[in-house]
Amino acid sequence: MTYLGQIYAIVWKDLLLELRTRERIAAMGAFAVLAGILFNYSMDQTVVRAQDIAAGLIWMTLVFGGLLGIGRTFHLEAQDGAFQGVLTSPAPKDAVYIGKVAANFVLLYLVALLVVGVFTLFFGLDLGEHPGMLALALALGSLGFVALGTLFSAVSSGTHMGETLLPILVFPLLVPMVIYGVSATGRLLAGRPVADIVGNLRMLGAFAVLALGVGAVLFRFVVEE
Amino acid sequence: MQSAVTPQAPAVARGAPPVLSARGLTREYGVVVAVDGIDLELDAGDFLTVFGPNGAGKTTLLSLLGGRLKPTRGEVWVGGERLAFSDTAWRARIGVLSHQSFLYAHLTVAENLRFFGKLFGLTDLNERIPDRLEQVGLANRSDVLARQLSHGMRQRAALARALLHDPELVLLDEPYTGLDPHAASVLRGVLSSLKDGRRTVVMVTHNLTQGLELANRLAIQVRGRFGWYGERDAVEPETFEHFYHHVVEAGNA
Amino acid sequence: MPSKLLRVGGSVLAVLGVLGILVLHWMVFFWTPTEASMGIIQRIFYIHVPSAWVAFFAFGIVALCGAMYLWLGDERLDHAAVSAAEGGMVFTTIVLLTGPLWGRIAWGTYWTWEPRLTLTLLLWFIYLGYFLVRSSTENPERGKRFSAVVGIVGALDIPLIHLSVLWFRSLHPTPVVMKPEGPTLHPDMLLTLAVGLISFTLLFLGVFLQRYTLAVATHLAAVREREARS
Repeated sequence: MTYLGQIYAIVWKDLLLELRTRERIAAMGAFAVLAGILFNYSMDQTVVRAQDIAAGLIWMTLVFGGLLGIGRTFHLEAQDGAFQGVLTSPAPKDAVYIGKVAANFVLLYLVALLVVGVFTLFFGLDLGEHPGMLALALALGSLGFVALGTLFSAVSSGTHMGETLLPILVFPLLVPMVIYGVSATGRLLAGRPVADIVGNLRMLGAFAVLALGVGAVLFRFVVEE
Repeated sequence: MQSAVTPQAPAVARGAPPVLSARGLTREYGVVVAVDGIDLELDAGDFLTVFGPNGAGKTTLLSLLGGRLKPTRGEVWVGGERLAFSDTAWRARIGVLSHQSFLYAHLTVAENLRFFGKLFGLTDLNERIPDRLEQVGLANRSDVLARQLSHGMRQRAALARALLHDPELVLLDEPYTGLDPHAASVLRGVLSSLKDGRRTVVMVTHNLTQGLELANRLAIQVRGRFGWYGERDAVEPETFEHFYHHVVEAGNA
Repeated sequence: MPSKLLRVGGSVLAVLGVLGILVLHWMVFFWTPTEASMGIIQRIFYIHVPSAWVAFFAFGIVALCGAMYLWLGDERLDHAAVSAAEGGMVFTTIVLLTGPLWGRIAWGTYWTWEPRLTLTLLLWFIYLGYFLVRSSTENPERGKRFSAVVGIVGALDIPLIHLSVLWFRSLHPTPVVMKPEGPTLHPDMLLTLAVGLISFTLLFLGVFLQRYTLAVATHLAAVREREARS
C-alpha cells in the first residue's frame, strides 16, 4: 500500500506543479498548434490530401513537441535540491520512476489529443468510424514514448549537454513506436476496419511494456550516485 | 596531535548498537579520492561537527552517511542496520538538511511536507505537519508557497521537512549558508532542540564559530581524511582557529 | 600476470585476424567465383557481412558488460564495454560505407531502406549516443552508468526496431531486384564468407583485448599517480 501511496504522491506532486507553473504543457501545446500552422504552408493541399498524410504529421508533431516537455521532466526537480529530498526518502526508485512516467503520460496524452484536434480543425480531418481505436493507439504510443523519454530525460539532465542530447538518445529507439503508430493511425484515417490495426496496437503495447519494464529497472542506476 | 586519530570505540557491552557507525568509508570519483578510509562511531545524543577546507570531501562524507552516495569501499550502519542500496527502509532513520531547501518552490509549505510525508509512508500527516511547523515556528505559514518565504523561513521549513519522520540520525550540510545573523540565530535555537539525547547529529561546515556551538565532538577533515578527531571539551574556542589551520596545513603537507 | 596474457593474446588474435583478412582478400579477388546475377560488386559482400556481424556482436558485449557493470560495479566491466563499443562503432561505420557502394551498383541507388542497413544506421546512432553521454558528464563514474543504460536499452530495443523496419518494408516494397544473399551460395562462396567471418571476429577480439588492457593500464597508472601524490 505504501508503494502505491508513494507513486500517487509523485503523480499528485508533478501534476500540481504543472498546474501551477504550466511551463511544459504550454510549450507542448503551443508547439502542436504552431506546427499545424506551418504544416499548412509546407504542403500543397491541391496535390496531396491532408487525410492521406496526416498520420505521419500527427506522430511527428507528438514526438517533437513531446520531447520539449518530457526533456524538462527533471528541470523543476533540480531547483533548490528538491529531487535530493526524493532520493533520500524511502520511496523505491522504481516507484519514483513509475510516478513520473504516469504524470508525464497525462501531459503527453493531453497533447496527443490536442494535436489530433488541431489537425481536425485545420485540415478538416475525418477521424473515421473508430475514434476510440485512434485514441487507444495514441495512448499506447504515448506511454512507450514517456517511458523511454522519462528515463533518458534523467540521463540527459545529468549531462552538461542537457536536453540537446535527448533526441540523439531516444529517436533511434523510438522507430518501432513511430512505425506502428503511424501505420495504425493511417489505416484508421483511411477507413480500414479495426481488424487491420490489431497487430499494430499489439506491437505498440509490447513496446510500451518493454520500455516501462526496462525503465523501472534501470532508473535507479541513473539517479543513484 | 597532528597525526590522524581514530575515533575511540565506545565502551563495550552496551545494549544498543551505535546510532551511526562507518568503517573504512571511501569514495572515489574516477581517480580522485573524496573520502579516504574514514571510521566513525556515534551514539544517541552525540553532535559531531566536521570542519574542513573547501574540497576536503565534507559534503561527500555526509552524502555517504546519509546513503545518498554509494561508498566505493567500506560501509555505513545506522541503528544497527547496514545501508544497502537494494532496500530503502533504513532511509526513514535519516533526516537531511542542506543549504538547499529540498522544497518545491511552487508548492506551499504544507503541500511540500505532505508530499515528503507520503514518500516516507507516514499516515498521521494531519497531526504531524502542524506539529512540526509549530516546532520550527512556522505554524502560520503553512499555506505560503515555498518560494515566497524568506531565506531564513525557508530554511526552517526545510528543517521541518528533515524532521518530519522523526529520524534518529540528522545530517546538516552547511545549514547556515546564506542566512543573515538573525535568521542564523533562530535556526541555531531550533537546531539546539535536536540535542534531546535521542538523536545523533552530524554537521559539516567551514564556519568555525557556528560549528563549535552545539557540538560535543569535532573532526577536522583534510583531503578526504580526518586530520584530527576529538571531544569538543578538548579544545579552547579562543585557540581553535590557530589549531584548525595547523591541522589543515599538516594534512596538506 | 593475467593482463600480460590478455595483451599478448590480443596481439596474437589481431595478427591472426589481419592474416585472415589478407587471405580473404586474395580469395575475394582471385579465387571465389563471381555471383551470376549481381556480378563483380557482390564480392564486397565478403567484407560487408562480416563487418555487420562484428558490429552487432560488439554491441552485445557492450550491453552485457554494461549490465554486469551496473550490477557488480567492477571498473573492468566498464573498460570491457567501452573497448567493445569503440571497435563496434568502427565496424558499424564499415557496414555503412560498404552497403551503399554495393547498393549503388546492385540496386542503382546509394541508399535504400533495406531493413538491415536501416537497423545498422540506427545502431550507429545508438553507439554515438553511448559515447556522447560518456563525454558529456563531469563525473566519469556517472558517464559509465549512463552509457551502460544506453547500451542495455539499445540492445533490448534492437529486436523490436528490426521487427518494425522489416514489417515496414513488407508494406512498402522498395525496388529491390534481388536479395543480398540467396539461400543457395556456391560452396566456394560459403568458404570465403566463413573465412571473412572468422578473420573479422579474430581481428575484433584482438583489438578489443588490446584496447581493454590499455584501459586497465591507464586506470592503474592514474591510481598509482594519485597514490604517489598523497
